[in-house]
Amino acid sequence: MNPHDDDNAIAARLREAAGPAPMPDAALRARFAARLRDVTAHPETVPIQFDGRKIEARRGGTLLGAALKSRTRLMHLCGARALCATCRVKVTAGEENLAPMSLKERLSLRYHLSFGSRTRLACQARVQGPVEVESVFPLCGDVPD
Amino acid sequence: MANVAARVSLAEDGARSRPSAEAMLLERLRRGDRDAAGEFYDRYAARIHRFILHALGPGASPQDAEDVMHETFIAVAEGLPYFRGDSTLFTFACAIAHRKAMSLMRTGARRARIASTMSAPEDAAPDPSSGRDEATRRAFAALKPDYREVLHLKYVEEATTAEIAAILRTSEHAIESKLKRARSALRRRLEAER
Repeated sequence: MNPHDDDNAIAARLREAAGPAPMPDAALRARFAARLRDVTAHPETVPIQFDGRKIEARRGGTLLGAALKSRTRLMHLCGARALCATCRVKVTAGEENLAPMSLKERLSLRYHLSFGSRTRLACQARVQGPVEVESVFPLCGDVPD
Repeated sequence: MANVAARVSLAEDGARSRPSAEAMLLERLRRGDRDAAGEFYDRYAARIHRFILHALGPGASPQDAEDVMHETFIAVAEGLPYFRGDSTLFTFACAIAHRKAMSLMRTGARRARIASTMSAPEDAAPDPSSGRDEATRRAFAALKPDYREVLHLKYVEEATTAEIAAILRTSEHAIESKLKRARSALRRRLEAER
């Protein structure tokens, strides 16, 4: 059989089996529009996800700053000077929405044997858009008052 | 690959828009236009929902699909103002849906429930809305989730390899290999169904 014929046969069968698309949910449509309006009304505030928790970051601010402001605990033994790399985070989504890595951050990560392109220092990575991160050294509980 | 500039497929139904129309819609979405949000939802919600259903497989409850759909559209709303337009809007939304679906499948109890039904798809309750070709439906449902995703995107959504690569955040070469394996797996399942 010609491979293209085979391809077309699979395509036809899958389209047939896929059935009609589900009916859209009107309530979700309204929530989507409301959330979009809300996000665009506050361009300086960026919604981010930190260890599965939804928090808000200041556009141009660091991930560590956003975490601490929302009372999410994150280790930073050197005091956010890009030395200890204990604030390391793994970016699970939206890495393009973080400012590019500075030489200082790159050197620190390499010194601590982190070579992955999705690992960043929370004290250095500046937020430019929605991003989802997980801390490499998570701590329990919130920052106390 | 986030920087893959996915080509807009111009063929097929009216649901797909020309790049200029899409750029205009994106511009309105970035301003938070309520009508544009409605237009975006009407244009893509059903396709995204169907993609989620296929990604989750027959083991997932309708509630799981609803949850993923909800999380996806809220994340899309949060991400749209920052979307640079380096892929199509469908690719952008579908990539988020893929991530949310995979995230749900990774969670312990739900994963176990889905996996148990994936290993025995014949036990899954037949879904009257899922099409007429039952043998194909069963064979498709028995595939691995990533195979289902690539086959759905390729043959039902008619996405290009570049678009699928952008959605699944991998290379075009990896997608081509995966498509080949998925087709072989589907053929084997279909043979077994005979």
